[in-house]
Amino acid sequence: MQTKRPPFWQREKYTPYLLLLPAILTILFVVLLPLIFSFYTSFTGYRLIRPESLWQWVGLRNYERIFGDDDFWAAFVRTIVFLTIALNLEFLLGLGIALLINKITWGQRTLRTIMMFPMMFSPILVGYQFKFVFNDNIGILNNALESLGLSDGAIPWLVDTYLANFAIIFAEVWMSTSVFAILLLAGLFAMPRDPIEAAKVDGCNAWQVFRHITLPFLMPFVFIAMTIRSLDVARAYDIVDVMTGGGPAGRTELLWTLIARTGYDNARMGQANAMGYISIILSIAFTYYFFTKLIASRRYMGGAD
Amino acid sequence: MTTRTLKTLLAATALTGIAAGAVSAEDVDYGNFDGYTLRVKLIGGAQYEPLYARISEWEEMTGATVDVLSRKNHFELDREIKQDIAAGTLDWCVGSNHTSFAPQYGTIYTDLNGLIGEATLAEFQELALQNSTVDGRLVQLPRHSDISNLFYKKSLYADEDNKAAFKAEYGYDLAPPETFDQFKDQAIFFADAPSFYGTQYVGKDEAITGRFYEMLVANGGQLFDENWEPTFNSEAGVEAVQWFKDLYDAQAVPAGVLNYLWDDTGLGFASGTVAMNLDWAGWASFFNDPANSKVAGDIGLVRAPKGSGGLRSGWSGSHSFSITEGCDNKDAAASFVTFLTNHDSQMIEATAGLLPTRAKVWDDAKAKFAADGNDFLVEVFDTYAQSMAEDAFTPPLIAPWIEVSNEIWPRLQSAILGEMTAQEALDEAADAARIVMEDAGYL
Repeated sequence: MQTKRPPFWQREKYTPYLLLLPAILTILFVVLLPLIFSFYTSFTGYRLIRPESLWQWVGLRNYERIFGDDDFWAAFVRTIVFLTIALNLEFLLGLGIALLINKITWGQRTLRTIMMFPMMFSPILVGYQFKFVFNDNIGILNNALESLGLSDGAIPWLVDTYLANFAIIFAEVWMSTSVFAILLLAGLFAMPRDPIEAAKVDGCNAWQVFRHITLPFLMPFVFIAMTIRSLDVARAYDIVDVMTGGGPAGRTELLWTLIARTGYDNARMGQANAMGYISIILSIAFTYYFFTKLIASRRYMGGAD
Repeated sequence: MTTRTLKTLLAATALTGIAAGAVSAEDVDYGNFDGYTLRVKLIGGAQYEPLYARISEWEEMTGATVDVLSRKNHFELDREIKQDIAAGTLDWCVGSNHTSFAPQYGTIYTDLNGLIGEATLAEFQELALQNSTVDGRLVQLPRHSDISNLFYKKSLYADEDNKAAFKAEYGYDLAPPETFDQFKDQAIFFADAPSFYGTQYVGKDEAITGRFYEMLVANGGQLFDENWEPTFNSEAGVEAVQWFKDLYDAQAVPAGVLNYLWDDTGLGFASGTVAMNLDWAGWASFFNDPANSKVAGDIGLVRAPKGSGGLRSGWSGSHSFSITEGCDNKDAAASFVTFLTNHDSQMIEATAGLLPTRAKVWDDAKAKFAADGNDFLVEVFDTYAQSMAEDAFTPPLIAPWIEVSNEIWPRLQSAILGEMTAQEALDEAADAARIVMEDAGYL
């Protein structure tokens, strides 16, 4: 007697898909559909305040305009520079902090918790805090410098091209260095002691141990932290918006302050989405680069491909 | 309750009021909306909040409940409303609005003509209602108005040494400025950076565009010609930009001024480190309160200076309330906004220095200040009444105004910082503004 085959959703080979279905549906609705929708709108003259403009197909006009827009490309390049400087500074400082904390034997937990404090603030609050610190007239920094006799004039921290970008990077680094520190600290904790002891027995000095054992071992952690932070920093908005709003004269304009102004204040959502899609290239490039480095560093350590 | 009944009631109340010689809130029947929940989005911030304490009175009177969905500053509220338009979630009834922002919202707000009784509307200043009208539709009920006049530190002008030194350097007597040129001379004269500044200006967003715009007009220029072609890159425009730049270069204003908005300029003047401050009347009480301000008791006030065209700068607008077209109970909404802009409500706001939009409140508030012995606020109201009557003008009430503004202000900053000349900056802004106007269908 032939047994009747169960309906297909009860067959074993479909079970995994069935179980994954809720996740797949969620991702479809929460991620994919909005992506397709926003991609579509980047080819329209969609303006938030004119819902009917959603159907106004303009082809590649939004993209053509962006390619000819110097302000956009200036913001694009500025974002790359900003990203590069901020990530490297955070990496160096985070590494330093992780190594120092790793040496401590007493009170380490407390220090680890204290180290996380900056991450607990909302970026908007961090922005306001540093806006006040760097204010040229009533700010703490200028007043301190004047009181100490180190400066005799009001330094325009948030106006000068270099100083303004420095101030924003400083705020960003202050808030997020602990992300690096925590991830690298986790790496240090997971590190086997044997190679280090073997190296010491073989007569390596501290620098050689760090350079050839600790650092290569930490690199996979570094690149994971870099990937996460590069996506964060590429979306930097709150701090910049509060501190300078991308100004003055566009000197601190990053991609997302420009895109938010285009999309919301000017209500040109179609064009803003086109800018968003070009900006995604930047994030994809950084992510791809860091993942390649991650795989390379794991291979170097004899890890799995 | 139907619109007709409300209108009749309001009209009847107004008539009784005229007979009695005064209209007071108690005479108006605000209707009965028992069990109804009115959903509203209001502007938030220290100067706007005191009025909202009255909401509970309206709730008690009408039996309705008010659900405040958001209470944000105007720029954030603007974004939220735009998102609501896009998402089709305009399921609330009353929203805060402003003259400069109203035109871009199209037809989401209903025409208040016919919804709010003529007798009530007649109590409002004609100009305020005119400025609240977009494409022939009264889309907002004005709550209070703004326009700027010049506050100055009196003692500086009374000082004999200052008088002599100023006369020797500039060749005319030191007195509060009558023109923008004098304003500039005196700001530079008083400045002693970094401890004391001649003045401050708002340096970004629509704030500096507005200042530029009013100086452009005062210098005899215009933003657009009659065909909506941008014309602000004229001689008058260059002169206006040069004024900002000269003050900046002379360090008569703080170096960070390009990041300043209204709070920064107001608090700066109150800190006693600034000689002159062109600002709205909303700060008046704050400036003269010794608990908040180091210049309390030492403040003079004159009308805004004249430009080279012989006109005074008079950029003006009103904060207002609007009712959505899709509101499910427009009568309740109308009752609510009428209540929040009635005589008593406006008296509360006037006490803080906010300029009323009801003609009668001007007199009553002034009488109250005089009775309280507050001569400063009497002077404030006299000065601002004159400028509201003679100098006030709004930005062009067109949908792309904010967008045009966003093309102008970054270029103003570039010119002030010396990255390009005033003429180059304005030419570039005019080209960009032309594209905005083309896209919006004006050109």
